[in-house]
Amino acid sequence: MNVNTPHKASDFRPSAGREHLGKSPAWLDGVREAAMERFREDGFPSPKLESWKFTNLSPLARTTFRSAEATKGRKITRVDLEPYRLTPDCHLIVFVNGRFRPDLSALDHVPDGTRVVDLVAAGEDDLQALIAPPAVAVEPRARTLFDLNTACMGGGAVVHLGRGAILDPVQLLFVALPEAEPAAFHLRNLIRAEAGSSATVLESYVCLGEGTYWTNAVTQIDVAPNAVLRHYKLQAEGSAAFHVAETSVRLDHQAAYRMFAASLGSQLGRNEVDVDLAATEAVARLAGTTLARGAQHLDTTVRIEHSMPRGTSGQEFKNVVDGRAHAVFQGRVRVAPDAQKSDAQQISRSLLLSKTAAADTKPELEILADDVKCSHGATIGDLDEEAFFYLRTRGVGEAEARSVLIDAFIGELIEHITVDSARTYFRRAFDHWLADGGRP
Amino acid sequence: MLKIEDLHVEVDNREILHGLDLEIPKGEVHAVMGPNGSGKSTLAYALAGRDGYAITRGRILYQGRDLTAMAPEERAREGVFLAFQYPVEIPGVVNANFLKSAINAVRRHRGEAELDAIEFLKLARQRLKLLNMDEALLSRPINVGFSGGEKKRNEIFQMSMLDPRLAVLDETDSGLDIDALKIVAEGVNSLRGPDRTILLVTHYQRLLDYVVPDQVHVLAGGRIVKSGGKELALELEAKGYADFVKAAAA
Repeated sequence: MNVNTPHKASDFRPSAGREHLGKSPAWLDGVREAAMERFREDGFPSPKLESWKFTNLSPLARTTFRSAEATKGRKITRVDLEPYRLTPDCHLIVFVNGRFRPDLSALDHVPDGTRVVDLVAAGEDDLQALIAPPAVAVEPRARTLFDLNTACMGGGAVVHLGRGAILDPVQLLFVALPEAEPAAFHLRNLIRAEAGSSATVLESYVCLGEGTYWTNAVTQIDVAPNAVLRHYKLQAEGSAAFHVAETSVRLDHQAAYRMFAASLGSQLGRNEVDVDLAATEAVARLAGTTLARGAQHLDTTVRIEHSMPRGTSGQEFKNVVDGRAHAVFQGRVRVAPDAQKSDAQQISRSLLLSKTAAADTKPELEILADDVKCSHGATIGDLDEEAFFYLRTRGVGEAEARSVLIDAFIGELIEHITVDSARTYFRRAFDHWLADGGRP
Repeated sequence: MLKIEDLHVEVDNREILHGLDLEIPKGEVHAVMGPNGSGKSTLAYALAGRDGYAITRGRILYQGRDLTAMAPEERAREGVFLAFQYPVEIPGVVNANFLKSAINAVRRHRGEAELDAIEFLKLARQRLKLLNMDEALLSRPINVGFSGGEKKRNEIFQMSMLDPRLAVLDETDSGLDIDALKIVAEGVNSLRGPDRTILLVTHYQRLLDYVVPDQVHVLAGGRIVKSGGKELALELEAKGYADFVKAAAA
């Protein structure tokens, strides 16, 4: 299918994947057709839009994609997936080229009171939550890829925790097997944590082989009163891939949401996270790192909405940029007039490893309440030349000294990951990135 | 051991050293003294190979080989050590990890077996004790939150661990109170030996009360303008650098 222009977007079949959502009710068809209509109308978000000013999607818009159904799905086995597993025995749901693969998943021992299923098995409640608009409103034209996802979604994981349930941990593993002709995978995930439940969820996006494809992922998250969700995301797509993701989080009273996201794959990536502290005393702690090299363009855009009083939010994002790569961090915090006693902190730091690397960072605070604690800070700097020299005068080689200093910059973020297996997982991904690090 | 011939060094396109000659025989301790701006730190950085310190003429012979073509880490592995005037704070890098990889890089280069964690710790403890330093230092990030005295002692500790053949101590006495100065000086003295050559770069004579040099050289206007025995340092202390600065400018 061709997504060159909004007109050509008629090639998108709004019903694509409807078969997959077998019991898909009529109202959903209406929603999906309307979403398709909006995408046709407005097309890909343009850099003229404020929230897209640092990221130009034209390389994506220029590419012609086929639907996921058209891919053959080369044979792979569990052994192929081992390097990407969180732990050898954690609960696991696997999607290959956007399609659920029960044969590769490990869902036999999912505990009572919890459900981990493919979109196909989504119930009516699930569907309602799945198609809800993102938790923080922006101008509609900036959200057309979400609409496209609504129209085309054909696979994804539904993770449901009943009251007081514990699921620790589950991995959602999305594997791309690129083929000669690029394909688009419109994934839609849902994580619903009911009151008092607790879960650790890792989303991993990986690629076996090489080639162009597009992951357009939406993850909807609802965290009910007193529930706790530790959410991790590894974006390690193939080097020719496009990755666009929207994570939308709604937090209820005293809900706690903790996220760590690492973006290091794809030629062009955008990780958008919207969090609404929609009830009192909710807590959201987001952290992440972008490791970009070569000609990669990786964008992290976060919006936090303090809608109700006494919420706490924290953001700590660090970029390491090498080669001709470009990293973007946009972080918006809005505190609603009623959201007194909110506490919102944001910090972003970028480390540029080459003269041609670039980083843009845009903090935005909109504080409409008067009794709040808010702060933000942003730095962009080079590798500390003095420290680099100091290490070398002790006999540490150039490449190792560089690694040591990059590690010092990122390491702390990784050390702060609370779940041991996740910390080890990201440490491994990071070490692998460093070891890979011959300068492009 | 170390022979510097007609050394010219430029920093930011400005020549700081204008033909410096200096020779230090193996196992000796020499002091280079000079006023501010005479080129002392430039000499120290040029010996260690810092980027931006361009050697435009002359050479530095170390054990018969020209140092100037070597990267800083190669010099270090060949046994050159620079104790910094301002030791660098490196948050996020733990002293022990850093020092272990440094030592093992040097040992690999020398064809010696690498130290494992236990051997490393044993050696580190022994050296720390010698310098009257707290073992907790090992698990702290490099120089972060250290007092001035602790940073200087940490330099001497690193030196004792790396076991260099040529140690260049850049203003190791600056910013130390008298007790700290004594401890650092004791550390340096404990590292004196027939196989180790030491170059003390300093403004003041007071370190030389504790670490007595074999020779003293006066650096002024980018050149060595006078050399002599340890009494030269006392003369400088009494009369100041004014005469030398004038002579160098003439």
